[in-house]
Amino acid sequence: MSGSRLIGRLIESLRCLPGVGPKSAQRMAFHLLEYNRDGGRQLAEALSMAMEQVGNCSECRTLSEQTICLLCSNDQRDRSLLCVVETPADVQALEQSTGYRGVYFVLMGHLSPLDGIGPEALGLDLLEARLASAEVKELILATNPTVEGEATAHFVSEIARAQGVRTTRIAHGVPMGGELEYIDGGTLSHAFAGRQEV
Amino acid sequence: MTHTTRVSLEPAWILHQHPYRDSSLLLEVFSQEYGRVGLIARGARAARSRWQSQLQILRPLALSWNLRGELGTLTGAEPRGRVVMFPGRQVLCACYLNELLLRLITRLDPHPELFSAYEQAVDALADNEEQALRLFEKRLLQALGYGLLLDHEYDNGQPVEEQGLYEYHLERGPVRREQANPDGLFLQGSSLLSLHRDELQDVRSGREVKQLMRAALGLYLGARPLRTREVLRQLSSLSRNAPADMATLSPNSPAG
Repeated sequence: MSGSRLIGRLIESLRCLPGVGPKSAQRMAFHLLEYNRDGGRQLAEALSMAMEQVGNCSECRTLSEQTICLLCSNDQRDRSLLCVVETPADVQALEQSTGYRGVYFVLMGHLSPLDGIGPEALGLDLLEARLASAEVKELILATNPTVEGEATAHFVSEIARAQGVRTTRIAHGVPMGGELEYIDGGTLSHAFAGRQEV
Repeated sequence: MTHTTRVSLEPAWILHQHPYRDSSLLLEVFSQEYGRVGLIARGARAARSRWQSQLQILRPLALSWNLRGELGTLTGAEPRGRVVMFPGRQVLCACYLNELLLRLITRLDPHPELFSAYEQAVDALADNEEQALRLFEKRLLQALGYGLLLDHEYDNGQPVEEQGLYEYHLERGPVRREQANPDGLFLQGSSLLSLHRDELQDVRSGREVKQLMRAALGLYLGARPLRTREVLRQLSSLSRNAPADMATLSPNSPAG
């Protein structure tokens, strides 16, 4: 289409990004070629280095180029608190908006039996070993409040109970600034059941 | 000429879902009157989706869609009844039911009687999980046209007796035998009859009927193993030293 095989290949490759269709891929490709070759070179270098070097942290399983990620190796963090989340993006979300000072365990997904995602894929054996080391005093479950997320939390809490580790679950409830009338029934019934003394 | 079918607030359950394109979902739905349907829920994964909390497995839903060709487009989703949160173990058992439906029922093949069997099974999981699973398997085989002969011998039509020992020939039925041999599928008459009457109370009939169902379903499932079975196996090996809930998953996982 563009009369150049290289440009065609670049456009095709950009389409692997989420939200990028043929038109935006073409715009990106021409933008880089016409106006920002340095940016393009940096992007290429960053991409290839990240793809080659980023693996999973051996302690929390999050994405990291180090064997042990920065969060896990930070001695300012409280290693007796362990928060279980589904994805590295959840770690970012919690880091940005809560004052949590403990460490994380990233499942990289949730139980999904029909897709064959079970305890092995979620690294639950690694989590079990971690809990058995008696370093963790409280396990905080922060999986998503979906059916599969809740099921995952249930099995994780069983493992923690077997190891005698105290387990807590983050609250579900009415979003800040929300109005009760427009909240779905499931959230509302959870919020109601989990009401607290003021 | 294909014409568009418009369906409004049809009782249905989501069996499985996959991400589709950037922000949509591809749903595999089991509905009362239309059987299994594949539906695209446009924008369901977007941050402001009105469906975000509704479109989940194990929630009784009323769904509306337009269907033209093989895949439909979801146009509405409402909860049907109160949201019940299932404990983890029941979620896995229900996933097993979902996997059976996905593997054995073709799209757009109506099975209203199987739909009510599914709703009963999901309800009954909390009380007696093994019984709920076995009875659903029995109804599933019936709905597929492979119902099991349970109360008569297949060759001479003699009624099955409580005290007798029977060898079960798949796709035919039971035959009375004097003694068991390791190659065949042997059951007590009482096990066959309790499955016939839809009551599986004692441990022995539960175990025998599970073997029968596993063999019978195996004929139609083919060589590809069930994924939920593998996940249950992993969970039970993980929890070998864990007490309480998880340990009961082993050594015989409930899903056959």
